[in-house]
Order: sequence, then structure tokens, then C-alpha cells
Amino acid sequence: MSGWRIVWSYVYKHRFVYFFGVMLVAASSLLAVWIPRLLGSFTDSLQHGSLSFSGIANFAWMIIVIGIIRVFAGWSGRILVHRHGRILTYKLRQELFLKWGTLSQAYYHRQSIGNLLSHALSDVEVVRELVTMGINVSIGGLSMLAAALYMMVIYMDWRLALAGLGPLVAIPVIIRYLGPKIRNQFLRSQAALGSMAQTVEESISGIRAVKAFGNERVSINRFEQKIDTIVQEKIKFVRLSSLFGSLVPLMAALGFIIVMGYGGFLTIKKVISLGDFIAFTLYLAMLRMPLEQFGRVLNIIQGASASLNRLSELLQVVPAVTDRQGALLNRNVRGEVKIEKLTFRYPGTERDVLTDISFTVKPGQTLGIVGSIGSGKTTLVDLLLRLYDPPEGTVFIDGEDILSYPLARLRQGIAYVPQDGFLFSTTVLENIGFSDEEPDRERAEHSARITMVYDDIKRFPEDFETEIGERGVRLSGGQKQRVAIARMIYKDAPIHILDDSLSAVDTKTERIILKNLRGIKNKTTIVISHRLSAIRHADKILVLEEGRIVGRGNHAELIKSSGLYSRLWYMQSGLTEGAESIKPVVTEEVGSLQSGLTEGIGFIQPDVTEEGDA
Amino acid sequence: MNTQRLPPGTWGFFSPYIQRYRLRIIFLLGLIITVVTIDLAQPYLVKEAIDRYIAVANPNAAAILRMAAIYLGLVLFSFGLTYYQDILLQYTGQSIVRAIRVDLFKHIQSLSLRFFDQTASGRIITNVVNDTEALNNFFTQFLTNTLRGVLSLFLIMFFMLRLNVTIALYCFILVLAIVTISFFFQRILRKINGQIRSRLATAIAFLAENLNGMAIVQIFHQEAKQQKEFDNRNQALLKATIKENRIMLLFFNFTELFGDLGVAALIWFGGQAVIREAISFGVLYAFVGYIRRFFQPVVMITQQLNTLQSTIVATERIARTLQEQPDIKEFSGASAPVVRGQITFEHAYLAYRPGQTILNDICLAIKPGERVGFVGASGAGKTSLMNLLARFYDTTKGSVIIDGKDIRQWPLVDLKRTVGIVQQDATLFSGTILDNLRFFREEIPEDRVLAASRLVGAEPFILKLPQGYNTVLSERASTLSAGERQLLSFARAMVFDPKILILDEATASLDSESEAVLQEAIHKVSAGRTLLVIAHRLSTVQQMDYIVVLDHGKIVESGTHSELLGRQGYYQRLYQSGILLEEAVF
Repeated sequence: MSGWRIVWSYVYKHRFVYFFGVMLVAASSLLAVWIPRLLGSFTDSLQHGSLSFSGIANFAWMIIVIGIIRVFAGWSGRILVHRHGRILTYKLRQELFLKWGTLSQAYYHRQSIGNLLSHALSDVEVVRELVTMGINVSIGGLSMLAAALYMMVIYMDWRLALAGLGPLVAIPVIIRYLGPKIRNQFLRSQAALGSMAQTVEESISGIRAVKAFGNERVSINRFEQKIDTIVQEKIKFVRLSSLFGSLVPLMAALGFIIVMGYGGFLTIKKVISLGDFIAFTLYLAMLRMPLEQFGRVLNIIQGASASLNRLSELLQVVPAVTDRQGALLNRNVRGEVKIEKLTFRYPGTERDVLTDISFTVKPGQTLGIVGSIGSGKTTLVDLLLRLYDPPEGTVFIDGEDILSYPLARLRQGIAYVPQDGFLFSTTVLENIGFSDEEPDRERAEHSARITMVYDDIKRFPEDFETEIGERGVRLSGGQKQRVAIARMIYKDAPIHILDDSLSAVDTKTERIILKNLRGIKNKTTIVISHRLSAIRHADKILVLEEGRIVGRGNHAELIKSSGLYSRLWYMQSGLTEGAESIKPVVTEEVGSLQSGLTEGIGFIQPDVTEEGDA
Repeated sequence: MNTQRLPPGTWGFFSPYIQRYRLRIIFLLGLIITVVTIDLAQPYLVKEAIDRYIAVANPNAAAILRMAAIYLGLVLFSFGLTYYQDILLQYTGQSIVRAIRVDLFKHIQSLSLRFFDQTASGRIITNVVNDTEALNNFFTQFLTNTLRGVLSLFLIMFFMLRLNVTIALYCFILVLAIVTISFFFQRILRKINGQIRSRLATAIAFLAENLNGMAIVQIFHQEAKQQKEFDNRNQALLKATIKENRIMLLFFNFTELFGDLGVAALIWFGGQAVIREAISFGVLYAFVGYIRRFFQPVVMITQQLNTLQSTIVATERIARTLQEQPDIKEFSGASAPVVRGQITFEHAYLAYRPGQTILNDICLAIKPGERVGFVGASGAGKTSLMNLLARFYDTTKGSVIIDGKDIRQWPLVDLKRTVGIVQQDATLFSGTILDNLRFFREEIPEDRVLAASRLVGAEPFILKLPQGYNTVLSERASTLSAGERQLLSFARAMVFDPKILILDEATASLDSESEAVLQEAIHKVSAGRTLLVIAHRLSTVQQMDYIVVLDHGKIVESGTHSELLGRQGYYQRLYQSGILLEEAVF
């Protein structure tokens, strides 16, 4: 039931508006009920021949006046209620976004984005329906029903009222019963459609493979199967919806038949007047719509529980990573990173991702981390950024436990480039200057120059103002990464972290970018890569395997120690390990390589020729 | 709507599908008329009851009950009819849409790669999925609602004219007013609904992007900024929805008000007529009953205009796709030679667009069993060369000959069986690994699949998966690493045991360790096969019997690795510039 509090508290907060709106809607309904009654009296007066032209005019005027008042009352009441419903939608979405901003990566790993989006879309809409249609219909419709019933029973004949309304009361029951079934079947047919769309997407994006294997027939068969499922599900849906579509009018017609037959009979027997008879038929026509809506509201209320609970659960999620309680270090990060005996496993998992990791990086130093996929490189970064909280007393920055920094301070001190170079679909400028409210063009240009993406950007249709993504240019993988690195440089934080951020950049450009990065003074830099060319200049290199450090040292030391690192090195440079004789030549100690023999090695690791600046 | 705008053949393509169900559609029309008539008879019946049996000198109670009983029969009949008619209509619509979908998809599958290269895949998917769904809506919503609406409108008018011509004509003025207002409001609503849709899409897209990149937002500590950005979008959406609601309510209340005013007017004019005994009271009642029934059909019809509009657009698009012709066709009388794996390019030219020659006078002879590497900067024409060989495209000039026969003279099936390709981005489909390896061809025995997967060294990792070969790959096989996907794609090619195997940058996006496994695999499968390898990695190309160097669509050099280096030409320059080590092409 806790979810309902979202609705109650909102309605309570705006209780005057709601009260006023609901009163207007109810008043409008009551006035509407008066009109058939007027027509009844009109009929009777006409019958008795007691009606003059001015009497007719009176009736006509009364209907006009009541009509105008009821329409305007209903109108203003609905506007009030509906408007607030939409504002609630807006507020809920804002609250959700605010909440999502505080939640940590642990949360996002467990949730699918599609799921979260559906909260923001459909669950929120359900709540809106509840506070608009739910309130309007239950108040407006029910007061209309009550008033009509009152008129029928008091002024006319209660037996006819009950008999005539009997079948109509079945309408909300039918809706209540069939509605959810129809909805479920509808969702099922939509899912079938979605599954067909996926098949089409696969066969279109994989068309080269399909064509290469001459496999069109198989694709078509798969497609036909999906289509058949759609047809089946749709037909099931149609059966239900047609049943519904014919039952509701049937009920209305049954009510009409009773009123016509039994009411006509009573009129002839003079139990009711002709005017009453007329009014009855009009009431019946009038009540059908609110009763249908009422049935729908019952379904909304039923479905709303689930949505409300999901929403309230979501709004109550406690972020896993937050500022610690108590006094926090209120100072800027300078750049020393120290990790001590760190062992870590992701919350809710069984396996240690990192085991007994210790190292130190001094301000201004560069640390390279290599290792294959799954060796724990990225986890290390997650912890440094506090996307996950490390165990207490394992990760230190400037000698203080990372947990004792406020998150804002910590993240101010670190600039980071993710693996995929995640960019937003805004302009290039806004992406590079993401850390600023108003990005500074000059600074962004400078950052772009350092990462060798300036010329690329200049070639875009609107250079730095070009939109990235859907409507703008599509960046290549390498361009994305270079923009992401520019974003890091723009931030100008004391600690730089690059997580495999040059994988899509060609080696030549990579070399220049790395050189430029080394040119920026006083930055502690952590470079993660599975390509050794990106880290070989680092002051210190860690080799990770299955969450453990299996090698450390600088490039030359690691090559000599002939472990995993040197194996990778030879594999990547295209040499066999057997080529011991040339091994020393590749290391940094050897200066320039110009001779015939070494030329061969030069192309293997082209950046060897640029050793001068190392 | 404006039919002149349609390209010729739009309805032409549509009509055969409808023709097939012509009789059924006429039958349905009859059913709908019956159902609507029974429903609309109600006010008329009350009028009859009043004028004939109630408000007369000697009322007849039995006749009233009899009338009610007859109408009850009609109503029950109509209930069954409505149900049947609805199902029949939907079934017909579904059958037509199914046929169109299958024909469209078959047609698309038959098109050549040129079509897919020149058309955004999103557009093709929209074509098959959404455009046909729009047709579906046309049958299930537009047709039913419009037919019902129009028929109701005409029947009401008919009943009114039968009651009293003068009053009926006055009422028709009201109809005209309602129709005008409805059109007016629907146009505004259509616009504002479009606005809501696009604003909602913007807000949701923003949300999706930020949820995906929440780590970046948090690391750069820009939560507040993004929150503000979201607020802008959210607020724009709020404004649009409030506006839409206001207009909706205005429209709704307009019709209500018009209804009341109409009733008042009827009372004023009709009441006088009754007193003057120009009409009976029953007639006046029936008019009051009918006048409110005008609104619903009019609103229904105007709302359906949206559906019609999107149907026309969808039909146009489908028709346009169906007009595309495949470039690659099998020649009649094609037959396959004995396959050995010999390839000859004879002065082959290729232009994807007229005037933009991508391959220029390619002459190349490859002997059966040879292993040839292809290198060159991106855009040099390596992949285009393979496009010719696999007959994704036909040469603009010159020819490609396999085992002494121009490939255009080969039956397509045989050609595809002979030439196998492993591409850079391994395409896998949702289904089990086993099905993926045999490309969903059930007739291929399992042991052949297993053998191929062993051969390329894919088996160890497959067996590590929870269900082994029966593991179901989720969307895009995202659970597998690039290397694993590549191995699967490799194994898939080997299941079909091609005599000529093309590896198109197959090792480009792999980390070194996966590459080692693949290298090993390449080595193993090359026995008894002609092997064509496009690669950037030195280690891959080095193993080849010889290397062909391409530049700007021309062969500039060829020879073994050491020969080429010794020549100090383009290859050596490529080498030093580091392009050979570039990991991927952008």
C-alpha cells in the first residue's frame, strides 16, 4: 500500500484545488441530470396542452442556461484536475531523475536501462491517469449516477429504474473483467511484433552474412514464423476485443428495451407520465458513457498499485556510494594515489575481482596497467572513482582514505576517459567542456589540439558546434575516443585516468597523443590498456592477471623478466619469442635504430624511432 | 486525401491484395450497415411507440411489449453479427497485411547489397515493421471506424429526413457546423500531438542517454547541470501536454454545449410545431434523440484522418521498396564448373556510383590453394575486391573468373557455397550457438558443425558456456567477447567448407590473445583452400604466400613480404607510416 502515498500526499498537498475541481465536476454532472427531467416536464406540459409559446421559450432558455453553466463548470473543474495531473507527471519524472543521479554503478549494473525508462514513461502515466481520470470519473460519474437514480426513484418509478439500469450496471463489470485480459493480450501481440522487429533488424544488419552464405531462404522462414505468431496473437486479441465491443452495446440496448417495453406499459397504465417515460430513455442514454468510464477507472486503480509500488520503491532506493557521515576532508586533491592490500569483490557476487593489490603513484607520475579482459583493470578504476566503495583503509589519495573525501571533492580531483569514450548527443563543444556550465571555446580547442582531434572537428559541418549523434555527424570510434580524452584534459584535474582510451586510435596518432599528454605537467596519470604501445613510457607498469599483480616495473625491466608482459610484447610486435637476439634492441635503452637490421624492427614497433623524447 | 501526390503504382500494388478479398469486403459492408441500422433505430422506435400506441386515444400495451420483444430479437441478432463482423474484418485485415509483409520481406531479401549499402538499415526495418503495421491499423481501425462513422451519419440523416424534412434540413446545418469544428480541432490536435510525441521522445532519449552515461555524469560531477537540462525538456513536455489537454477539453465541451443548444433549439422550433400540430410529439422526441448522436461519428471520422495520412505515407514507402530491382541476377542456363579454387580478375572495374571508380583495371590470377594477403590504406579497395569475388556487386567492366568460368555464369547457390567469408564484425543471430554455426539450416548434421568448431579452436570456449552448443545467444551475442564472436563466425564459414575463403579484417578488433587463437586457426584451415586475407596486422600478412598491395583502387605491388620490403616501394612506406599496425579502419 505504500505506493499510494505518492498519490495521497500529492492530492492532499493540493487539496483545495482538487476539492474545488471535483466540486465543479460534480456540480456539472448534477446539472446535466436536470436536463432530461426538464424535457420530461416539457413533454407532460405539451401533452396536457397547457404549454404556450412563451412556456416553450422558457423551457428552451432554461436548457440553454443550464447547458452553459454545466459545460463551463465541468470544463473548469476538469482543467484544474487534469492540469494538476500533468504537473504530477512532471514532478515525478524530475524526482526520478534526481534520484537516478545519486545512484551508483552497482545499481545500474543490476537494472536494465529499458526497465528504468519504462518507470519514467508508463508508470508515471498510470499515476497521472489515476489522479485525473480516476478522480474526475469517479466523482463526476458517480454523482451523475446517484443524481439520476434519485430523480428516477423519487420522481418517477423505482421498479422501472432498477429494471432499466440493471443491464447497464453490467457494463463496468464487463470492463473490469475483460479489460485486463484484453490488455494482456494486446501486450502479447505487441511483444510478438517486437520480436518480429528484432528478427528483421538482425537479418538486415547481418545482410552481408546472409548474402555471403546464400541464406535468404532461411531468413524468410524465420520471418514467416514470426509473422504467424503475430497473426495468432492478434486474432486472439480480436476475439476478446470483439466480444467486448459487442457486449457493451448489447447491455445498453437491453436497458433500452426494458425501458421501452416496461416503461411504455407503465405509461399506458398511467403509473408514470409520458414525460417520465421520455426522461427515462434519456437517462439511460446519458449514463452509458460514465459507466463505461467507471469500468475503465476500476482497471486503472487495479493496475496502478503495481506502478505505484514500483515508483515508490525506486524513489526510496538508498544510494550505495554516498558521502560518509561525520567530518569530511575539505581539501583539494593533489594527486598521490596509494593502494594498500586491496581485495575486492562486487557486492552480491562470490568471486574476488581484485586480490591483494598494492602500489603507489606519486604526483606527476604515470602508471600503466595492462592485463587481458577480465583481469580487473577497470575495477581498479571503478574504485578510484568511487563508483563502488572500496573496503576501508585500502585506497588512499594524498595519504588519506578515499572514503573520507566528499564525493564532490574527490571527483573534482579526477578526470577520466572511459573505455567506450561515452559522449552525449550534444555539440562537440559541450562534450569537451562537459565539466563546465558554459564551455569555454578556447580551452576546448586547446584540449582538442592536444588529442589530435582538432582538425577532424574543423572538418565537421559546424566545427565545434556540430551536434554529435543522431542529427549531427557520426564520429568514428577513434574520433569518439579522442574527444573523450579532450574532455578529460579540459577538466584540468590533478589525476588523469585513461581506461583503454586509445584502442580505436591508430598507433601513429596514439603515439603523438601520448607524447602530448606527457607534455602536460603535474598530472598523475593512470593509463590502462591491452595495447602495450600505450603504456610503455609509463614510469611504472603493473601487469594484472585474474585480479592479481603478476608483474611490476618499467618497460625495460618487464621485458627482461620474460613474464606475461614480454610475451604480450612479442606477440603484439609480431616477433616470436625465440628471437632472443633482437630482444635487447627493442628496449628503450637502445637509442636510435637506423641500420639495415634494425630497420626491420623499426616497422614492427614504429615508435621506437621517436625515442628521443621518451 | 490528395491522391495526385502518390507515385504511380501505390494503390496499384495495394489493389491485388484487396481484390483477393473483394467479396468478403462487400459482405462486411452489408453486415456493418445492418448492425448500425439496428443500433440507430432506437429513437425511431420510441417515436413509433409514442405516436402509435401511447399518446393515442386508446393506448395499446400489448403492441408495445410486442415491439420490445421484436427489438430484443433484433438486438441479440445484432450482437452476434457485431461480434462476427468484427472478427471477420480483423481476420481479413490480418491476412492481407500478412501477405504484404511476407512479400515485402522476400523482396528485400532478394535485393543486392547495393540496396543495403545505400539505404539506412533503420529505414528498411521501419519499412518492414512500422509501415506494414500502419497498413494493419488501416484495416483494423480506419476501415471499421470510418465505415461505421460514415454509415451512422448517413443513417441518422436518413431517419431524420423520414421524420420531417424541414427540421431535418435545419439539423443538417448543425452537422455542417460540427464537421467544420471537428476538422478544425483535429488539425490543431494533430499538430500538438506531434509536438508531444517529439518532446516526449527528446525527454526519453535524454533520460536514456544519461542513464547509460550516469558514470560519466557522476565522475564529472555534473548531476546538477544534467538535472537542469532534463528539467528543460521535461518542462517543454509538460507545457505541450497541458496545451493539448486544454484544447481537448475545449473541443469536448464545445460538442457538449452544441448538443444542449441543439436540444434547446429543437424544443423551441419543434415545440411550436407540435402545438401547431405540424409534427407529432414522437417526431420531436426522435429528433432530440438523434441530434446528440451526430457528434460521435463525426469525431470518429475526423480522428481517423490521422490513420489515413500515415497509411498513405506507409503505402508509398512500401511501394517504393517493392519497385527496387535486384542487380545481381542468376543467368538462365548457369552451371557450375568443377571447383578447384582458381581465381582470375580480368581487367575488373567497379564503381558503386557512376563515375566514382573504386576498383581500376584489376588483373590478378590466384592459383588453387594459394594464400594471398591484401594490404592497403583504408579506402584502397580491398573490401571492394572481395565484394566482387563474392558477387555482392557485379563488375562495371571486366570480369571475375573462378575455375575458368565467369562468376556471372555460375548458379548463385554454387558460388556462395564455393566462396566463404569471415567478416570484421562477426554477425550472429539470436538463437543457439549450434544454430548460428549452421546458420539455422537444420539439414546440416551436428557432427559437421562440431568438427568445424574444433578445427578453428572455438570448441574450448563454447564448452565453457552454461549450455555448451545449445547456449542461446542473446541480442547481438553481447555476452561473448569480440574474439569469441569472431571464432564463431570463422567456424560458421568452415561448416560450409568453402573452397575459397576470404578473411576480411577478421582479426582487426581482437586483443592479442584472441588473435593468437585465430592465427592458429587460419593456419589450420588453409590446407586445401584458396585463402584471401585482408589484414592490417603484420603478423597475419607475413604468413601469406604473397601479398597484393592496393592503393586507390589499383594493384601497385605484389610479392612476398621480404620481396616487397626489399623493393623499397609503397609497401615499405605503408610499413613505416605504421598503417599496417592500425587496428581498425574508420
